[in-house]
Amino acid sequence: MILLRLISYQYVRKHVLRTLLTLTGIVLGVAVFVGMHTANQSVLFAFEKTIDHIAGAAQLQVTAGETGFEEAALERVQAVAGVRVAAPVIEAVAHTNLAGQGNLLVLGVDMLGDRSLRDYDLEGSEEGAIDDPLVFLAQPDSLIVTKPFAERNGLATNSHVMLNTAEGPKQFTVRGVMRAGGLTSAFGGNLAVMDIYAAQKMFGRGRMFDRIDIALNEGVSVAEGSDRLRRALGPGFQVDTPTSRGAQFEAVASVYKVVANITSVCALFIGMFLIYNTFAIAVTQRRAEIGILRALGATEGQVRRLFLAESAAAGLIASAVGVLAGMLLARGMAGYIGAFMGEVYGIAERAQQVSTDPRLVFAALAIGVTTSVLAAAIPARNAARIDPVKALQKGRHQSLGEGESRRRRRLAVGAVAISVICALGKTGPLLYLGYFVTIIAAVLIAPAVGVWLARMLRPALSWLAPVEGALAADSLIQAPRRTSGTIAALMLSVALVTGMGGIARASYTSILTWVDTSLNPDMFVCATEKLTDRSYRFPREVGDQLRRVPGVAAVHEVRVGRIPFRGRPIMLTAIDVAAFHSRAGMPPIEGDPEGMYRDAAAGKGLLVADNLAIIEHLRVGDVVELPTPGGLLRLPVAGVVTDYSDQQGDFLIDLAVYRKYWNDDTVNVFRVYVAPGAKGPDVERAIQAQVGSRQRLFVLTNREVRAYISNVTDQWFGLTYVQIAVAVLVSVLGIINSLTVSITDRKRELGVLQAVGAVRGQIRRTVWIESLTIALIGVLPGLALGALQLYYWLEIARRDISGYRVDYMFPFGIVAALVPVMLAAALAAAIGPAEAAVRGSLVEALEYE
Amino acid sequence: MIALRGVSKTFDGRRTVTALDNVTLEIPKGDMAAIIGPSGSGKSTLLNLVGGLDRATSGEVAIDGQALGGLADDALTRVRRDKIGFIFQFFNLLPTLTCFENVAIPLHLRGWGRGRIEERVRELLGLVGLEKRLEHLPEELSGGERQRVAIARALSVYPPILLADEPTGNLDTHTGADILALIHDLHDRLGATVLMVTHDRTVAASCPRTILLRDGRVESDERTGA
Repeated sequence: MILLRLISYQYVRKHVLRTLLTLTGIVLGVAVFVGMHTANQSVLFAFEKTIDHIAGAAQLQVTAGETGFEEAALERVQAVAGVRVAAPVIEAVAHTNLAGQGNLLVLGVDMLGDRSLRDYDLEGSEEGAIDDPLVFLAQPDSLIVTKPFAERNGLATNSHVMLNTAEGPKQFTVRGVMRAGGLTSAFGGNLAVMDIYAAQKMFGRGRMFDRIDIALNEGVSVAEGSDRLRRALGPGFQVDTPTSRGAQFEAVASVYKVVANITSVCALFIGMFLIYNTFAIAVTQRRAEIGILRALGATEGQVRRLFLAESAAAGLIASAVGVLAGMLLARGMAGYIGAFMGEVYGIAERAQQVSTDPRLVFAALAIGVTTSVLAAAIPARNAARIDPVKALQKGRHQSLGEGESRRRRRLAVGAVAISVICALGKTGPLLYLGYFVTIIAAVLIAPAVGVWLARMLRPALSWLAPVEGALAADSLIQAPRRTSGTIAALMLSVALVTGMGGIARASYTSILTWVDTSLNPDMFVCATEKLTDRSYRFPREVGDQLRRVPGVAAVHEVRVGRIPFRGRPIMLTAIDVAAFHSRAGMPPIEGDPEGMYRDAAAGKGLLVADNLAIIEHLRVGDVVELPTPGGLLRLPVAGVVTDYSDQQGDFLIDLAVYRKYWNDDTVNVFRVYVAPGAKGPDVERAIQAQVGSRQRLFVLTNREVRAYISNVTDQWFGLTYVQIAVAVLVSVLGIINSLTVSITDRKRELGVLQAVGAVRGQIRRTVWIESLTIALIGVLPGLALGALQLYYWLEIARRDISGYRVDYMFPFGIVAALVPVMLAAALAAAIGPAEAAVRGSLVEALEYE
Repeated sequence: MIALRGVSKTFDGRRTVTALDNVTLEIPKGDMAAIIGPSGSGKSTLLNLVGGLDRATSGEVAIDGQALGGLADDALTRVRRDKIGFIFQFFNLLPTLTCFENVAIPLHLRGWGRGRIEERVRELLGLVGLEKRLEHLPEELSGGERQRVAIARALSVYPPILLADEPTGNLDTHTGADILALIHDLHDRLGATVLMVTHDRTVAASCPRTILLRDGRVESDERTGA
């Protein structure tokens, strides 16, 4: 401790800027980690809170995925022994026309039974209509809103609110205002309750319920109750506790969570190299100090512990700052993530409160400190091994010993060999091992590659700027230890950007190919503005109305919804397969390209999206069991196809099969083909005039759907921009760090240059060229590593994360943009150090040792 | 001609240290003077002020009638580049550059063409007897050879003024004598003004003029007729 105060503290005081730069790497990593997780948790917490508040006293909930089920199921539930209350529910998000209010979560309930489950806690004595549920029922325009919502919109009892219904905008009357607390805090207070039959009409549910909330008799356990219900209802229904819906939400967003975790891990990993670099430099610069300590009797262990303690203290301080920054970041991100969840997964949620879990804070601090200590481990070991006699001698110590270089090269060659073998093997554990070993090989070989590239670049740089260029290259050749960490950080950053960019490019290309072959209707008639939003549905008759519109050649009805499959909510798409295949198709992966559609159309099989097939290990011929309200549906896999309809993949079955087993003839989307000779805009106007006048609908042209998909894909990859920004920022910090040290190390050299006639501009150019050279040396191996990384990521994503099979494509466009960005960033990073180099005292510089 | 008029230099720290105190000197063109004095007497400070590496706190330093005090940093650098050559005690060669490259630096900085630089560097290294060491790195040379390279670099444009700070201070007696002889030879052949800081009485005695500094003041200024 005394050494920490006497030795370390003094060094930090002397190198404040460098210490700050180093800590920033950890600050950024921890901030991204805390920010992403806090924002995620806040959205999840809000979702769970909404579920909890809406569930009220319900102990169990009966559902059939997103698809809902017939009203008749209610009687079967009520007949189960031990069920005290069984209340049907429609739960959907409605679009208000109120400025700034956006979505409203509408709960359709049966007032006769529901009040034993949920306490509406209405204000004052104005409960009039609600006191008598029959009065409420008799008025289908009745609405109860929360007090916060009423206050925000100046509503009171008997006020009118316009809401969009499946049949167009309709006026509702506020007949009750719920007091703040409990139910009112669900969905950020944007909650309304209406009669369930009015809700069925409003959202186009037909005669179906979304779920049934259940309270059990006293003495009946939840396990016992759910067991009885499962037996009574059969495999087509799910009986779960309300909290298990939170787990489903998490399952749906699992891919997103993986990506969010990768961001923080990458930032921390890159930050680790900054710390390594700083400590490696510190050990070199403090050789004399270490030598004196050792000469005075400090043991190797004491010196090692001194450096490790320094790194732990630095990690702790940086992590604490990172946690605070992450909390601030989370506030900004929660809204974005909430909107993103709605857009990509069709799950709407509003995170009102952003609070950080103390366990997360502890984990972040632990990760920050561990990263820092790990990064300092090698420099600390080197410090401990310094020979006191040699340490007190003057000389250059930045060069890597030939022995160390040779060891690194041998290890790297071995690692590359293992990586190649693993890449060829392609099996699960080998793939991960291969990826890990590739990164290790790259990091090990980075200093040697850096020196080698600097040597290669020297003639060109000397030719371009004889003094400045040669000195910049020599600085890197002679002192690889000074820059190796920065080069490694840069290399990893560039590899990260290349990998992410590659995935983005490959995904865009694959999605566009799929859109071309699969989403080729001229227009899509939807019940909501967004394709992923499934709140509103159409009655089947709308399809017939559309077919009668002049200029319409064909209309294909599509019903989509999530159903449970092997414990995960998986998307089910039902369509008239024969009609679909007559005009479109999906690129086949496995199975007879024609036969698969024939079998599916005949109800003898189903099609599986490739990514789902990979994740769930499904092959052609395997029998899939789908739970339906009409019983267990067993269908063999007729074919595996490319389908990007949902991130977790989907099953495609014939609409007739769906209607038979789900007894549901509602429709989410109509695929409309325009007759030859007819003009799209004319048909669209005719649809709006003939069908839209009676029915809420949105006509999206093919171009709009493409733009929508492109937008959703952009939003998804928007997260990668955060990664890219963090990676570039951390690298720039690394360059500033390296250059600051380089300027200090080369003080005398730069002083000599000025003494023999170099003007300020020439000194600045020397520093700029050095910075650009560092960037170039980091970028080139980074691109190579990125190309390899992309291969591993695509394989890992295909096998274990999303299951998407996308073709390998090196992102040349992104690289073309990245290289100048990195060089510009390097130039910007050099401005401060270059100014420091020309502003110092020449006399001091010439005396510097 | 080098002229110092009432030049003082103080360093501000916890307490103010006066390195030079109201020094007035004139070194005519072609003169060769040794500046001697005990440690802390202001020898190196005086040399730094004449060489434009530092600025006087008060008074005026002029080279060929041009006052250095009012010049901007880059203008001062140009005076240094065109009129002054430096020889340092610790050579101050750039360790990563070859002898050729070290000597070529000032010429590159002046923007000379490659052909002209090569010709001049070969000529200079020949002048100091190192024509066969063109591609050697400083660490491959002896101390005396390194100082010769430093001298060749200082002479790169045959500046009218040569400033040497303890040029033999880091060399053994025999090598030091060689270097001193070289400086004298160059002074005779090139006619440059040479100002040499030394604590070595033998070196000082070899110069026709000796200026003794003590506590920042000129205690004596003698011509020995050497």
